[in-house]
Amino acid sequence: MAEIKPFEFKQCVSILKSIGRKAKNLQELREGLAGISDESIFHHTYQYFLRGRLLEYTNDFAQWAGEGLEERALAEYLSNIDPYSFKDVRGLRNELLNVIDRYLSDFPKPREAMRGDEFYFNEAIILISPVGIQAKNLAEFLMAIKYVEPECIYFHFYEARIRPPEEVDDFSNWFEDALDKRELANKVRAIDPFMHSLEETRRHLIDLVEKELRTDMERF
Amino acid sequence: MKKQADTSSPFKLSLGDYIGISPKIDLVIIQKLADRFAGRHFLHINSTRSGGGVAEILQRMIAILGGLGINARWEVIEGDARFFDITKRIHNAVQGNPEQFSKDMWQHHFEINKKNAKKLNLDADAVLIHDPQPVPLIEFRKSGKWIWRCHIDASSPVSGVWGSLKKYVKKYDAAIFSVAKFAQKLLLDEFIIPPAIAPLSGKNRELSSDEINKALEKLNIAADKPIILQVSRFDRFKDPVGVIKAFRLVKKYNDCRLILAGSPATDDPEGEFIFNEVREFAGSDPDIHILQLPPTSDIEINALQRTATVVIQKSLKEGFGLTVSEAMWKGKPVIGGATGGIPLQIIHGVTGFLVHSVEGTAFRIRQLLNNSEMAKRMGESGREYVRKNFLITRQIRDYLSVWYAMENKGKSVIEF
Repeated sequence: MAEIKPFEFKQCVSILKSIGRKAKNLQELREGLAGISDESIFHHTYQYFLRGRLLEYTNDFAQWAGEGLEERALAEYLSNIDPYSFKDVRGLRNELLNVIDRYLSDFPKPREAMRGDEFYFNEAIILISPVGIQAKNLAEFLMAIKYVEPECIYFHFYEARIRPPEEVDDFSNWFEDALDKRELANKVRAIDPFMHSLEETRRHLIDLVEKELRTDMERF
Repeated sequence: MKKQADTSSPFKLSLGDYIGISPKIDLVIIQKLADRFAGRHFLHINSTRSGGGVAEILQRMIAILGGLGINARWEVIEGDARFFDITKRIHNAVQGNPEQFSKDMWQHHFEINKKNAKKLNLDADAVLIHDPQPVPLIEFRKSGKWIWRCHIDASSPVSGVWGSLKKYVKKYDAAIFSVAKFAQKLLLDEFIIPPAIAPLSGKNRELSSDEINKALEKLNIAADKPIILQVSRFDRFKDPVGVIKAFRLVKKYNDCRLILAGSPATDDPEGEFIFNEVREFAGSDPDIHILQLPPTSDIEINALQRTATVVIQKSLKEGFGLTVSEAMWKGKPVIGGATGGIPLQIIHGVTGFLVHSVEGTAFRIRQLLNNSEMAKRMGESGREYVRKNFLITRQIRDYLSVWYAMENKGKSVIEF
């Protein structure tokens, strides 16, 4: 029997970098979005999930449109953009710009943010390191997923999706490739990353893996 | 490297002391980075050995880093009265307060740093210079990465003053600001690292009920009704009069006490005037306690925060406002003015409430006094938010990460 490739849990932390650019109104946000680096777009959208989703909207641009500019409708449009549905940051950037352009054509003079409430464009450096835990089977995986840090779930479930070549989360990839559990993999892939916090995602993973283990144990 | 006098910390803290307190990920990353940096030299320089949040964190950070095998040192520059008068003015001007400077004053600032450079061992692999006082030391750099750590709000400095400082700052390899909106645009790497609280310090550690009762007795405070508390020096920007106005609106509906507690600051000549003004405004209401405490009152402040039902930080203008995190760490719901670093700590409706007026403050106090479940939930969320974001271990992790990132310059993803 071929040896199963263990799942190695990794975690990540980010360090924030200012790029020295800010926006005080929607027009300036648009100009910023058109000109900033892919890393900055990535930080304000994909990495938003690393911060644990305590806020109302689903990315920094939407959050600022809603809270800083009080343009709630725009915040809803921007919030509905799923970064994971794009192949690359370029596609995501274009969609963000399209939404803002449409809004600006309907409301050409949106209000300005109050002094001190401007939008600050940032980037982040990500440091990745192994947790020091490996799972060789589903039972070990279940034990680990219950206790790893949320940043570990972010790395394997969210960040993995923009990592070539698979562009799916690491967990389902391992279930399918290493454990030959395609059905479980598909169930994990059906968890909507966009609609869950890291802790909610953890709970879904625990539920699915526990059910799978129970089914395995009932088999004879 | 040159032999150096013992500048290690007198604190006997180790990373292990934070197990079960700080997030495990922070401790693991610190340990891993410390393994990489073992035996290397990390030098911090500021201008005071005690007093203030920077010194409080440095004392503990040096002990922790030393225990992990990093040669961490902390040096303090010395200067005459004129030097500290000049640096106080620089401090004010960086924060936007108009100050007059002559060429001679900048020369004195430089000369004092030059004298310090001769005395100090500036040889290190990473050098973190804290705030504007020692910023000219960059002219005497020997080796390693030099990073300027600005703890104050530099978003709207007096332009001439910033211009003179920038001559030095631009020679650094990187700068660190506490909040993105406090930063200046510079042609170097600018990292954003928020400040932090020390959870094992007298101001923040767990207290026994005996310790709390003794402190309340000493301050002559009865815990017979809900307590509304604001801890801050007596300064117009902390709006103590606004807090009393809000309290009076609340008192129409809820029986409670208000405590305004602060310590005099030697560099704030207006403090005593404001204190008297606040006392006069409070009048003879026996439920309003205006406390001017000595700077050594950490345990008393801790006890007050742990006894309070609701904590206020109704600032009109603020730096980072770490008293918010201190109260949140004690599981208290906090109502804060939406200014400076306060919105980074208070997630509106989750860890507390952000307010913009006296009426808003009163309304939120009443909401919390009449809904203990909500107050409890916000207090718990606040404590967890501080645990993840504003403890000293996160700050140490970030400093080491910045050092590591600078040694891997150009990479946005670093695996180690």
